Amino acid sequence: MSGINITELDKVYDSGTENVVAVEGLSVDIDHGEFLVLVGPSGCGKSTTLRCLAGLEDVTDGSIRFGDEEVTDRRASERDVAMVFQNYALYPHMTVRGNIGFGLKLSTKLSGDEIERKVESVAEMLGISELLDEKPKALSGGQQQRVALGRAIVREPSVFLMDEPLSNLDAKLRSEMRTELQELQTDLDVTTVYVTHDQTEAMAMGDRIAVMNGGVLQQVGSPEEVYRSPVNRFVADFIGSPSINLLTADVEGDTLSGPGKFAYELDDSDPVAGHDRVSVGVRPEDIKVVESGRNAADVTVVEPMGNENFLYMEIDGHELTARVDPTVRPAEGSRVAFDFDETALYLFDVETGDALKTKTDSVDSAVVGATEN
Amino acid sequence: MREQQRKDAVWRFLTYAFVITMVVVMMVPLYWMLVAATLPQEQFLQFPPRLIPGTAFLDNFAALQERLDFLRTIRNSVLIAVVYTLLSLVLCSMAGFAFAKYEFKYKEPIFYAILATLVLPIQLLVIPLFLLMAQLEWTNTFRAIILPWAANPIGIFLMRQNMKSIPDALLESARMDGATEFQIFYRIALPTMRSSLAALAIILFLFQWDLFLYPLVILESADMYTIPIGLAQLTGFQRIYYDQIMVAATLAIVPMVVLFLVLQKQFVSGILAGSLKE
Repeated sequence: MSGINITELDKVYDSGTENVVAVEGLSVDIDHGEFLVLVGPSGCGKSTTLRCLAGLEDVTDGSIRFGDEEVTDRRASERDVAMVFQNYALYPHMTVRGNIGFGLKLSTKLSGDEIERKVESVAEMLGISELLDEKPKALSGGQQQRVALGRAIVREPSVFLMDEPLSNLDAKLRSEMRTELQELQTDLDVTTVYVTHDQTEAMAMGDRIAVMNGGVLQQVGSPEEVYRSPVNRFVADFIGSPSINLLTADVEGDTLSGPGKFAYELDDSDPVAGHDRVSVGVRPEDIKVVESGRNAADVTVVEPMGNENFLYMEIDGHELTARVDPTVRPAEGSRVAFDFDETALYLFDVETGDALKTKTDSVDSAVVGATEN
Repeated sequence: MREQQRKDAVWRFLTYAFVITMVVVMMVPLYWMLVAATLPQEQFLQFPPRLIPGTAFLDNFAALQERLDFLRTIRNSVLIAVVYTLLSLVLCSMAGFAFAKYEFKYKEPIFYAILATLVLPIQLLVIPLFLLMAQLEWTNTFRAIILPWAANPIGIFLMRQNMKSIPDALLESARMDGATEFQIFYRIALPTMRSSLAALAIILFLFQWDLFLYPLVILESADMYTIPIGLAQLTGFQRIYYDQIMVAATLAIVPMVVLFLVLQKQFVSGILAGSLKE
């Protein structure tokens, strides 16, 4: 069976007048049966990477292997991969049956009856048996999505590629399909690469997450790893919702002093040794509102979420977000004191953004994943 | 409110009046042609004109057949136009697909060069084409009528524009499903283009159906004549056979009307609806 090795992948688009580097030096190993999520802001190269894996784009440099087979220069149809597209790309003139069976008809030597049986069993698995004779335009978004999935599954590929397959569904359906997709992937045990710009989706679905930015892979790790131990400021900022609070602070001995009289005394100043200035990061859930403390901020908005409250605060024009207990509900416009533990503190190099210190508190890994939903 | 209703009614009245006028203006010559085809020559020329159909259609037709085998002329025209339309649809849709969906060197210059040929009038091309056909010894053949116009620039342009609207994901999806490039064209792109193909078919058919000067130069023997040339033969030096011309003209529009009725519903069906989530 088939894992994926990507080695030093480069993809450069030659637009005639200038070269646009879409992916640069990407290397990652994906285990057999693993669910890897490629995540990043738009234009980060995640979709291009997926298209290179699919064989829809030529690779400028580097190599791609599926299991033991070098597939870098193979056509899409020779790679034994199936892809689910963001807008589903169903063939409008064919019925659901025709859509799902099309690949089998073209790329296998199965008889009509065998194809029919496979199409029907896949349709049953996805709960779309009664839609087999409909045309795509008669289906709802969720149903079209299932047909697109069925078309990928029926070919029993060694690799699944998914390009933001859930982004066109409404929120409720999206979270349902998210679970369903994961179950399906586990059942089928097929190596899957899933592209999304939604970090929540990435955290929820991925066995591992690969965070990309500007065509460069930033970090690959379990959801917990990229959340708790980001390698740099970009990853810390991108992963987590609401985003991490970032301030720039001067290092004065053991003390970090930032805007609006922000000051924090470190017990352990080793990470900042040799730095005059650092980026200070604190996750919203680690900010505690306290009776009195050294630091204070002005509350601008309070969002009650039911099970928790989001406090949006300002400290000398810099925004801070805190995620607090529903009982904590200061008046908007009031000034509150806040604090956080040093174990929860992230520190980054101001220039390079590299992490100097990440979370050191001990948290059960299952809890971190769950809070992200 | 009532003021608004009255305004609407007036507008509706004016709209209908305009549309009906246009219909009448267009239908009168057609009706006159049909009536005239059924009248003997002397009644045709009388004033005020007779507007009720007569009974001389078959007589007129028999006289026409005697002067010129007009059924054969129709057969020639249909044969040429059908073969031409089919061939041209294949060429135009393939070229249009390539220009719309593939990247190749000098794509834009080639495309604009093809478009530029539109400014050359047929009259300019007739003599060089005739010389070419004479060298090939193709004069007085149907292939000499069909082939020079088979790769029709308007057709290529039309198909390119329409095929650009086919989502790339649809073609890529087929590519991943194991379709060859030709299968992608034939099984995915073409079926989604049905309404454009129907429209183009009518344009191409009509172009060939109406072609006069070029066939006149190429076709020498009467048994090869197409309808426009056949019609021209009916205008003699001594006398114009209006009754026969009207019969011939009536018969000449039948294939066009049939083609239009057959393809009509393709225009309105939005075949691409539902392929992509909007």
